[in-house]
Amino acid sequence: MRASQGLGPHPTLERKGKDILTEMLIKERRLGNGWRKKEKVQKLVFILIGLIPAFGGYVLFTLYPNLLSVYYSLLDWNGINAKRFVGLQNFIYMFQDTYVWRALWHNLIYMITIPPLVILISLLLAYLLTSKNYKGNSIFKVIFFFPNVLSTVAISLLWAFIYDGTFGLLNAGLKIIGVDIGNFYWLGEKSTAIWATIPPSVWGMVGFYFVIFMNAMTTIPKSLYEAATLEGANHMNKLFQITIPLIMPIIRVAALFLMLGVFKGFENIMILTNGGPSGSTDVIGLYMFNIAFGGGSQSYGYASAIGMLLFVVMVGAKLIIDKFTANRSAEF
Amino acid sequence: MKEKRNAADIVWTLFLLIWTVSILFPLIWVFYESLKTNREFFQDVWKLPQVMNWINYEKAWQGYGIGQAMINTVYYVGFSTLIGTFLTAINAYILTRLEFKGRKLLWAAIMLSLFLPGINALVPQYILMRDLNLTNSLTGLIVLDSLGESAFFLMMLSGFMLSLPKELEESGYMDGASIFQVFFRIILPLSTAGIVTVAIFKILGLYNNFLSPFIYLSDPVKYTIGVAMYQASIMMQYKADWVTLFAGLMITLLPLVFMYVLLQRSIMEGATLGAVKG
Repeated sequence: MRASQGLGPHPTLERKGKDILTEMLIKERRLGNGWRKKEKVQKLVFILIGLIPAFGGYVLFTLYPNLLSVYYSLLDWNGINAKRFVGLQNFIYMFQDTYVWRALWHNLIYMITIPPLVILISLLLAYLLTSKNYKGNSIFKVIFFFPNVLSTVAISLLWAFIYDGTFGLLNAGLKIIGVDIGNFYWLGEKSTAIWATIPPSVWGMVGFYFVIFMNAMTTIPKSLYEAATLEGANHMNKLFQITIPLIMPIIRVAALFLMLGVFKGFENIMILTNGGPSGSTDVIGLYMFNIAFGGGSQSYGYASAIGMLLFVVMVGAKLIIDKFTANRSAEF
Repeated sequence: MKEKRNAADIVWTLFLLIWTVSILFPLIWVFYESLKTNREFFQDVWKLPQVMNWINYEKAWQGYGIGQAMINTVYYVGFSTLIGTFLTAINAYILTRLEFKGRKLLWAAIMLSLFLPGINALVPQYILMRDLNLTNSLTGLIVLDSLGESAFFLMMLSGFMLSLPKELEESGYMDGASIFQVFFRIILPLSTAGIVTVAIFKILGLYNNFLSPFIYLSDPVKYTIGVAMYQASIMMQYKADWVTLFAGLMITLLPLVFMYVLLQRSIMEGATLGAVKG
């Protein structure tokens, strides 16, 4: 399956003019000029009816707000009072705002921990299932992918139960293996909260990349592994010297996508801790969201300025990704 | 080729099992806790319930408004999926199989959405929805989520439609069919498999959608399931009614489990297909 399909010009539409001409001649002969005209009008009506609601909605609800966000970022506005144009003041304030830097720092922590963990675990799981014929391989596959269909709300609530200090599964489990840490609230302590928000994300994302890596691994010829086995290679050798190098382009794309997703994601943090305790898990998306929609005084102008920062970072990263993927557009 | 089982093999198998347990156990745990009384739960979080307290589910359904939220969710997901999928199908056809001026420009404008992170547009989108009087309304949410172009779904379906032979349409026109008849009688039925996949993904995405219902719905009577559960979990901090919350979470998960069990093949295939293109 080629990744570029659908993006480029479509083969059927790129037919030679000659074909179309003969086709038209046939139709003219069959239907006559009157029919031809009616057909044209019908086609136009069909196109308009089909396109207007969808493309109109896209322009109105997606493109227009994106443009508007540039304008809003230059305003001092709380959504109710009159708009006041303040130029770049929001941006100047943003770069001096320590909360912005703190949030970005947390983003950085997530970006250097979550993607490697997700990739490592999903690679191992995929390798184990492709290289060995466990009984019930397909059942493992179905189970591993399952968290991917769960909503962020469901995953976050599930993990909130796991982490609860008094009745949580984690502390109860630790007690069984002899580690009694009392009623420790993993998400309620500044020292552990940010680390505790990592496993839920990893848990929720592994399934997806596991399936992608597994599909990629099944395309590697078995003979390569057999030859390596004859030469005495063990699983670790095979994983690191055959499998990983061969699917490296896919791993690279996965890593970049994960980093982007982690950078802009904040729903899970919002539900688990809402940035707390005392801002120790705040991320940039959540900070923006709370300025715009959280309780207290709203500042749409400032929120939009932070949105612009996110926009620039994301688009820049996307462009880099496209450069990475252009040479070999990940044939999974 | 048979390999010898050694210590490393055991470690790997253990790793597989641990990951499996980490997925299944929390779900099973929440399920059996949801059948306890709060007292039983506070005493020992491991013990199985002595009596099945299905009443917790009734309490969650009524007390936490999960029942109302489920009705709202069905309305929101149902209409958004129907309208959205139909529009995606017709647009995929128009944009990939019809020739007209400006087609490439439209396609490029839609592909632009792949570059937009979306998060920066939340505020202007909210103001727009407020100005259009579409906030605090499930119908407003349907308008927002069904009218629009999705590059991902369009690519998914256009690949499908491009594989249909051109002769099918031509023979339709020869027989004097209009373009409407060709689309509804020939193209749509033949693209059913692709359309169903798109619909499955729309349903999953909309059912799990949290952010826009959370932003746009302020009246608790209108909450969708995700928002209702989130609000219930916040309320729980004051009420300490754990078992009912567990029951609520199980109710939320049930439709997803059901869909996944039935459709896991196409869900897994479709999801990874999206990764290639999205």
